[in-house]
Amino acid sequence: MIEVSQLHKRFGEIVAVDDVSFTAADGTVTGLLGPNGAGKTTTLRMLYGLIAPDRGRIHVDGVDVASDPLEAQTKLGVLPDTHGLYPRLTAREHVRYFGRLHGMNGAELETRIGELIETLDMTGIADRRSQGFSHGERMKVSVARALVHGPRNVLLDEPTNGLDVMSTRAVREIIRRLRAEGKCVLFSSHVMQEVSALCDSIVIIARGQVVARGTPDELRSQTGQENLEDAFVSLTGIDEISQ
Amino acid sequence: MNLSRLQVVFFKEMLDGVRDRRSLMSVCISALLGPLLMGFMFNRLAERQREAQDIKIPVVGAERAPALMNWLEQQDGIEIVEGPQDPEEAVRERDEDVVVVIDDEFGKDFSEARPAEVKLVADGSRQTARPKVRRVRLLIERYSQQIAVLRLIVRGVSPALATPIRVQDIEVSSSQQRAATLLNFIPLFVVLAAFAGGMQIATDTTAGERERGSLESLLVNPVPRESIVIGKWMAAVVFSACSVALTFFLCLAVLQRIPLNEFGIRFSIGPLEILGVLAATLPMALLATGLQIFIATFARSFKEAQSYLGMLIMLPMLPGILSVLYPLGNQPWMIPIPILGQHVLLADVLGGKAPELIWFGVAGFSALVAGLVCVYLTTRLFHKEKIIFGR
Repeated sequence: MIEVSQLHKRFGEIVAVDDVSFTAADGTVTGLLGPNGAGKTTTLRMLYGLIAPDRGRIHVDGVDVASDPLEAQTKLGVLPDTHGLYPRLTAREHVRYFGRLHGMNGAELETRIGELIETLDMTGIADRRSQGFSHGERMKVSVARALVHGPRNVLLDEPTNGLDVMSTRAVREIIRRLRAEGKCVLFSSHVMQEVSALCDSIVIIARGQVVARGTPDELRSQTGQENLEDAFVSLTGIDEISQ
Repeated sequence: MNLSRLQVVFFKEMLDGVRDRRSLMSVCISALLGPLLMGFMFNRLAERQREAQDIKIPVVGAERAPALMNWLEQQDGIEIVEGPQDPEEAVRERDEDVVVVIDDEFGKDFSEARPAEVKLVADGSRQTARPKVRRVRLLIERYSQQIAVLRLIVRGVSPALATPIRVQDIEVSSSQQRAATLLNFIPLFVVLAAFAGGMQIATDTTAGERERGSLESLLVNPVPRESIVIGKWMAAVVFSACSVALTFFLCLAVLQRIPLNEFGIRFSIGPLEILGVLAATLPMALLATGLQIFIATFARSFKEAQSYLGMLIMLPMLPGILSVLYPLGNQPWMIPIPILGQHVLLADVLGGKAPELIWFGVAGFSALVAGLVCVYLTTRLFHKEKIIFGR
């Protein structure tokens, strides 16, 4: 479970995150939805401990990220905004490296790697060096290494960005499976369809602030819009800006 | 710090580094370059020395000055050969470095005590021929002086009267010394190897990680930053140290093949000296790679880092340049100063002077401390949002 309360972050003059609070519960998929530049990535980066918030608290399974970031990171599986690979390592070696960085080793680790390669359908690329991997293949490796230690909480920053249809479906399948396993999944997206197809709970962010929060149905009734996309537009105020 | 995670980072970077052809190449090339250069220079020097000592002097009209020819042939390493048909053409075409032409009237002038003419045909623009030309000129002038002295004595005049000033050359630089200077290149090559050997991997693990966008993913793992940085540093240290050791042993291999006694150099290197050189230089790897990792972390891309580190390589050459400008010699206060200390120790060990053991400790310790300071600063950089996310 991830609990965020009154998060603030500014970069110089720009307020990137302004009083963001929400909770992502276990066994649910929470979507962080908002236009580009709304503060989604900054929020996530504070969640996984790479940016220190100016104010506010974050708890991951009860662990305060600010005071014990390493302990919080053991409970998190993260697909960050940038997830480059090492061109001279194979897919399997990538997953193994991250597993070891989490303190895993031996047969336990190798079994886990085998499982992930199986479920993510990576058998064909498992022992190939990552140089020349397609976008989808790279994404699979990144997801596998994020999940290697079996985290209770999974953060995914725009996981389907730039993926083709097949890979997008594969990622969605992973997210559904994680939910079925009772994990807390939080992912960000700027694509409405993505979020509505997957999420139990949606947090809409615009200009660094949470403008709405709830199930897709709640958001529809809240705005009086039948269509979730229209609800999104009216909530984020994109309309006002473009006019 | 977390030792087991540090090892994980270290072994990953080693695997990555060994698979990187560029980092292996940079180790090999940097290790080969110095020793090969030294071997080449020694060979040239030996050749030159042999040339200047054993020379054949082509003489046109040798029969017109039999006494001079006799005298010349008695000099060490001189052989008189028949000169070419057209001496000037032969010198211009570089068939000969110098040709001596005895004038037709030489015999007559000589016996009548008039200045007898000897032509020295040479090309003044040819650097390489100069030592030979000078040697021939000096020999003939010496002969001329001896005759002059004899003539004065015969006439009852003191030869001292005809020599108001006597110039005495005291040659300080000899071939031997030039050869010894070449040996002084070994410390420079070895120290350069410390910088060149680790450069590629130090760049790849820092600026490379930023350029590929893999740093953010790495730092999401529950590993203290200092363990990550030290793991990377250690991998670079291994590459740098290998490069140092390889360079040094190649230098030794080259020296084995050079007839050093031909230069009159006593250079014997035993296991103790080898140990001394390694003890003096291996700590260099700690500092060199520490600096490189720190500087390369500022760079957003591989190329940017390479251009910074290219400038850094001037650093190990600094002591050499400074010693030319401010010839202080080797003094004890230099030992704790990284790089300078290594130069001093190496020069001592290779010069056959055994430095006290404590100095190795002091120099090694100072290099370690300097390396650790760089690592500490790099760790601080790894906390900066601009470094982690700035691409």
